[in-house]
Formats: sequence, C-alpha cells, structure tokens
Amino acid sequence: MNGVRNWIQERIPVSGVELAEVTNEPVPNHLRRWWFCLGGTPAYLFVVQIVTGILLAVYYQPSPETAYESVRRITEEVNYGWYIRSVHKWAATLMIASVILHQMRVYFTGAYRRPREINWMIGMCLLLCTLLIGFTGYSLVFEQLSYWGATVAANICDMIPFVGRLAKQLLLAGDEYNENTVPRFYILHAAILPATMILLLVVHIALIRMHGVSELKFEDETDDGPGHYDFFPDHFYTELIIGLVLMILLSVLATVFPAIMGPRADPLTTPEVIKPEWFFYATFRWLKLFSGTFAVLSMGFIVFVMFTWPFIDTLLRRVTRIEEISVWIGIVGVFLLVALTTWEALVPH
Amino acid sequence: MQLRTKRTVIGLLGLLFMLSLVLVQALEVAHRREQAGLAAAHVIVPASSQSCVTCHGQPQQSPGIVDHWEDSTHAQKGVGCVDCHRADPDDVDAFTHYDAVIATVVTPLDCSRCHPKEYQEFEGSHHAKGGNILASLDNFLAEEVEGFRADEGGRHFFNPHSPTPGRPEIDEVNGMASAFVGCQQCHGSKVGLLATDGTAITVDDLKPDESGKPTNLAVLDKLEKDEDGRPKFHPGTWPNTGIGRINLDGSLGSCSACHSRHDFSPRRARQPENCGKCHLGPDHPQKEIYEESKHGVAFRDLKEHMNLDAENWVLGQDYTQAPTCATCHMSAHSRQGTPTVTHDAGQRISWSNRPPVSAWLDTDAEGKIVTETDPDVRRELVVHTAEQKRMNMKQVCLHCHTNDYVNSFYKQYDDFVVLYNEKFAKPGQAIMAELGKQELITSTQFDEEIEWTWFYLWHHEGRRARHGASMMAPDYSHWHGMYEVAERFYIELIPQAREIAAHAAKEGKQEQADAVNAVIDEILARPEHAWRKPEEAADEE
Repeated sequence: MNGVRNWIQERIPVSGVELAEVTNEPVPNHLRRWWFCLGGTPAYLFVVQIVTGILLAVYYQPSPETAYESVRRITEEVNYGWYIRSVHKWAATLMIASVILHQMRVYFTGAYRRPREINWMIGMCLLLCTLLIGFTGYSLVFEQLSYWGATVAANICDMIPFVGRLAKQLLLAGDEYNENTVPRFYILHAAILPATMILLLVVHIALIRMHGVSELKFEDETDDGPGHYDFFPDHFYTELIIGLVLMILLSVLATVFPAIMGPRADPLTTPEVIKPEWFFYATFRWLKLFSGTFAVLSMGFIVFVMFTWPFIDTLLRRVTRIEEISVWIGIVGVFLLVALTTWEALVPH
Repeated sequence: MQLRTKRTVIGLLGLLFMLSLVLVQALEVAHRREQAGLAAAHVIVPASSQSCVTCHGQPQQSPGIVDHWEDSTHAQKGVGCVDCHRADPDDVDAFTHYDAVIATVVTPLDCSRCHPKEYQEFEGSHHAKGGNILASLDNFLAEEVEGFRADEGGRHFFNPHSPTPGRPEIDEVNGMASAFVGCQQCHGSKVGLLATDGTAITVDDLKPDESGKPTNLAVLDKLEKDEDGRPKFHPGTWPNTGIGRINLDGSLGSCSACHSRHDFSPRRARQPENCGKCHLGPDHPQKEIYEESKHGVAFRDLKEHMNLDAENWVLGQDYTQAPTCATCHMSAHSRQGTPTVTHDAGQRISWSNRPPVSAWLDTDAEGKIVTETDPDVRRELVVHTAEQKRMNMKQVCLHCHTNDYVNSFYKQYDDFVVLYNEKFAKPGQAIMAELGKQELITSTQFDEEIEWTWFYLWHHEGRRARHGASMMAPDYSHWHGMYEVAERFYIELIPQAREIAAHAAKEGKQEQADAVNAVIDEILARPEHAWRKPEEAADEE
C-alpha cells in the first residue's frame, strides 16, 4: 500500500495534510443549525441537475420537429427516462426555492453588508441565471404552454425601451419563434448558463473563503469555548445529511408526481390561458397588474434595487437612522412575493 | 433586533414561502394532469348557467345532462347551458324559463355563434342535405309501402283494425311511424311545432329570414303551448338528431348527430362507432366494411394508442396507427400546409356510389353532380372537380402508403365501379326504363316484383359491392356485393323482364314485348355476357 501511495504522491505532489488545510475552513458555530445551511442546498441540487441533464441530453433532440417527440420518448420509452426527467424537473423547482430561501437568510441576517456587497451581487447574478435556466429548460419540451410561454416572454422583452428588440432577437434567434429558437434555448440551457453559473459559483465560494462566513452569534451564546468547528467531518456530515434527505425527497416527488407530457406546441392555436412556470408567477401577475412598458420598467427597477441593495441599505440606514429598516422592507417584499405567486396560481386556468 | 428574533422572522417567512410553494405546486400538478388528460378537467360554471346546473343536477331532475356537460370542453371553457340554449324572444320556439329566454333545440345556426367556420363547411356538405330523402324512393318505401300516408290536413293517421289488449285507448297512430323512427332519425326531417289543429308547423310555414326569425307571423297564432307558455313540438318530428334535420330557423342539420349532446365529444366523433349509427346495414354497410378492412382491424387493436383526446388530432402528428372514418373523410393531417379539419365530409370523395349508377363527383357551385356530357359545357359548370377531391383523399393515404400503392388502389377501385356501372347498373336501368316506357309496368314503385328485384340489385347489393371496393373490404366487394348483383341480374331481373314481355305478347302487346326483348338481347349480346351457354339463353327465352 505504501508503494502505491508513494507512487501517487510522487506524481501528484499534494500531501493529505496540505489538502486538509485547504479544505478545512473553520465553520462558525451558528452553522450547526441546519436552517443556516441553505447555501449548500442549491449547490447540491445544481450537481443533481448537471448529472441528470447530461443523461437527458443523451436522448434529447433540440429542434422544433424532434424536441417534443424526443422528450416523449424519454418519458415513455427510455429505461428510467421518466425518473431522470422527473428528478430533473423537481430538482429545478427545489433549486429555485432553496436559492430564494438562501437569499432570504442572507438578507435578513444582513450578511450582504460590507465587505460582502460584491458577493451579494454575484448571488443576484446566480439567482437570475437560475431563473433563466429554468425558463429555457421549460421551453425545451416544446409543449403548447412552454411554446406560448416563450412567445409571451419574448414579447415582454420587446417592451423594454431601446434594447427590447435586441433582447427578443437574442432569445428567439430571430424576430419570431423559428426553427433556430429551440436550439438557441438548448445552447443557453445546456452550455452557456451552466458554464456561467459554475464560474460565478467559483467566485462566490472563493469570496466566502476569503471573507470567511459571516459570523452570527446568538444572545445566549457565551464567548467561552471555540467559535468555530471543523468543516471536515462535522459540517461535511451536516451537508451530507441534507443531500441525502433531498435525494429522498426528489425520488418521492418524482415517483408520486412524475413529469408528464402536455399537448405538443401548436403555433396556430393560442391556448385560452397562457401561464409561465411557477417561479415567474409573481412577475407575470405584476405585469398583468400594470400596463406595458411601465410594468416592464418597474420590474427592471425592482431587479436593479435588489442588485444594489447593500448600498441602498447603507444609505437608508444613514438617512432614516433605523438600523433594521431592511428587515421591515424584506418582510413586505416576501409577503408581496408570496401573495403575487399564490394569486396567479389561484386564477382559474 | 436580536439574532433570535431574526431567526424567527426567517423561519416564519421561509415557512410561509414554502407553504405557498406547496399550494402552487399542487395547483400546477393538478393543472398539468388535466392538460395531459389524466384527470377530470376543471369545470367553469358561468353565472348565467349556475341555476340550470344546480337544478338539473339534482337526482329527481336530469343529472345525466349535467354530468355529460361537466365532462365537456365547453365546461372547461366556461360555455354554459344558456350560451347554447339562449334564444331571442322573436324566435318561434323561444320561451321564458326561470327568467332566461331559451329554446329547446340548439341548431347549427346557434352553434355558428362560436363555430362559424364549422357551420359554413357543414351547411355546404352532403350531410346537411340528408333531409332531401323526403322526396326520394326510399322515403316512399317507408311512408307508403311500409306505412300509411293519409294526407288529411297534414295528419298522417292510421286506424288499427283491432284493439291492442291492455291499450284500449289506441285508436289512431301515426301512419308514417316507420319513416319517422327509421329514415328520419338518420337523414333528418323538418322539425315541427305542434299546431292547435294537430298539424306540424315547419320551416315551410315559418319562412325564416337569414337570421332564422320567422317572416310569416300569421302562423304563430296557431302554436300549441303548454301552461308555462312553452311551444310544444309535433311528436312526429321531435326528438330528431338526423344529420340533415331541417330546423325551424331554416338551418340544416344537427351538430349533435355526431357530437352527442351534452358532452359534445370530439373523441367520440373521431371513432367509427359514431358514424355507425347510420352508415351500416344491408344498403350501405360502411361500418361493417370498415371493420372487415385492415384499417378497421388496426383500429381495434391500436385504439388506445391513437391519442383520441388530442386537441386537433392531426394524422401524422398525433397518431398514425390506423385511420377511422373521420381520419379519411374529415380530419386534419400533416400533409396539409395548415392542418385543418373539414366538416364537409364530401371534400375527399370522388365517386358517389349512392345512386343506381355511380357518378363521378364533379359538382357545380351548389354542390350538385354535373351530369352534362359535352366537355366544354361541363368545364364551365364544374366548380369542384372529383379529381381534386381524390387528390385530397390521396394526401391522407400517403401518410402510410406510397404513391404507386395509392394510385394502383384507385385504378382497381375505378375499374370495379365502371365494371359494375357498365355490366349491371346501366343495363338494369335501361331494362327498367324500357319496361316503363312500354307501359308494361305501372308508374307506381314497388307494386311489381321486378321493381323490388331492381331495388335490391342497386340499392343493397350494388352499393355493398361499390362501398366494399372503396374501402378495401374484399368480402363485401365480392360475396356480399358483385356475386349477389350478378345472381340478381341473371337469375331474377332478366327472367322477370322476359316474363313480363312474354305476358305482354300473350296479351297482344307484341310490339311492346319486342321492344323490351330487343333491349335485353342487345345487352346480353355484349361480350361480357358471352360466358353464358347459348342453351341457357334459349331456356330464358
């Protein structure tokens, strides 16, 4: 055994001690509480998406003529195809939900504040990438609703002043939905967005490592004893348990509520009601509440405010002298998000 | 704010968010299952129809129609009872029912409020003109030969000759009952409202304008109404879902003939059993012929894979397993630029095999068959060519068959039809015409044996043969078809015609007898009849 270890050591000159030093980031005590571990959950689900996505790509054929039939084949004929597709679908749902929960935790604990403003903005980029990858993935099925959802989304993009037309053309690969649109969605979904997200994740985690995880201390905690514990194996086990629970949850959801096929896209028949995937319900309801350009611009303004929130927060606290103003604004924001999403879901189809 | 408080805020908001997601996902999953046809669709009861659904849904009312409606696409889209049954107070059959002005019969004109394209196509179709049988030989058979047409002020009564045990009150029945419960339930008839004198008030009396409103208002005073002011229907004309029904508003047809009320199921209309209500039996067994064909065999085997609930049901996209009646004659297919269903079932039919002699279906602007033989005149008259209709059908065939296969099939079919026309139909027609011309038979139909023989030959056996050939059913083409045509022609029609001529000669009508025999001789001298031995021909003489 020593001979083998030495052979490997000679060719990969990294010692176990050095590796442990690099990976064994001191973890603050508050992360012993599992609900503070939501940052690892979307990362874990992202890995699930990559693995199941690669398996789906083996059979998926990205063109308007073949997309629907290939997804139907995956769902109905390929061995375990229905399971892989269902896990991919539910992992996407859970990933978006956990990203939002993670962002809520970061927001309400003020973990975005100096010096972590840039990392908050990278997180925002990751959120937008996650929503976009969800949208493009939904459109790849070439179902009636996904087709018309994409068409409506492109038309909404068109309402953005100055750059709207360009955004629509970039999204649809032309002025209208055409034979290049599905391949365009596929490239975005399977290559550009995942690569971008991996890069952003690397920077996101690197910055966390450089700044250290923001430390939160509960009122009843004393200064006695160490304020940190080891990443490996303590925190690793916590993350592993969450991962296994998630895998069980995904399997249950995939089995009980498997992904099914809606009607094939028919460009000549507009559905009575067009709805996007659930994670755009709040946006969709907002756009319905207000007309045209105002709705789009106001939505853009909200995204801008979210992006630059660390700086706005600083300014607000200085002007209002209310230290926790962001918490109250956040509560209103979450209620708004929940209300708009639920409202759109409850409107009769 | 203490960290513990923030933790509570995060926990509560996170829980709220997750609960909302569970609700949203539950609704989403339910919606997807509805879309995929795995769960009953969401029913939207419009406010105007809420009380109809509540009241008629009760067990002592008519819960069946409510159940059927709840399973319909109309219910999913919020199209309720009043949307279809609503009427204008000026409509002849309108009445007020719990504050809503409605009519019992929903006509194609009513359906056209939402389905104008389907209405236009259907009104131009042969189906819509099914009621034209009212003046045909078949109807004479049902009304007079089978029944009793005592035309006394529009009442066709029949008095039984003996009492019916247990039913002493039956002293008069409708003499045209056979036509009403038979012919007219498929072909349709004039729907009539009951007049105070017991007769039927029909479209002929009402003379409706384009919007369906009656222009002859004088006749409205004769309407018989119940205590609620509801006009009564003439029981001889209603119920009636015949496809060529002639409605009070002047529109033709009944959409529910194929799209059964009240679920208006496209799925059902796509299946051959639906057409089999009328297209079956000894005279036009299309349903049985289809079942015998490979198409019908494949359908029975693969029905569950045919996506019959698909929204547009496009051949080549939604299914390819087998064609049904609807597939070939009406449904959308992927070779159309824009896959579109037609409600004119004649747009893909090139031969009419209904008359004694099959007719090539070049039709004029009114959809009538052009019989003109002069090529130049014919060219001017023909608006819709049979060749184009055949091309339309071939586009369907080509989803599963090669060009050569399809063209060869049509060659076989044309050969068969022309062989039947020339060897048996036209000769039979000529013999019957000569007998009539020489006054050796009466002008009354079905009062002589040879008239029944001739009717069997073309109306039953001849149609079976031709329909069998049109749908690739060999047994119907031959044993139920041409075999029986040949037997009827050689063993019954010719001997009976010779016998009539012989009787005529004995009665001193030698010239008339010779004329008939000359026609028969000329026919039998043709090469296609030369297989018969001379002595057999002599025996016949």
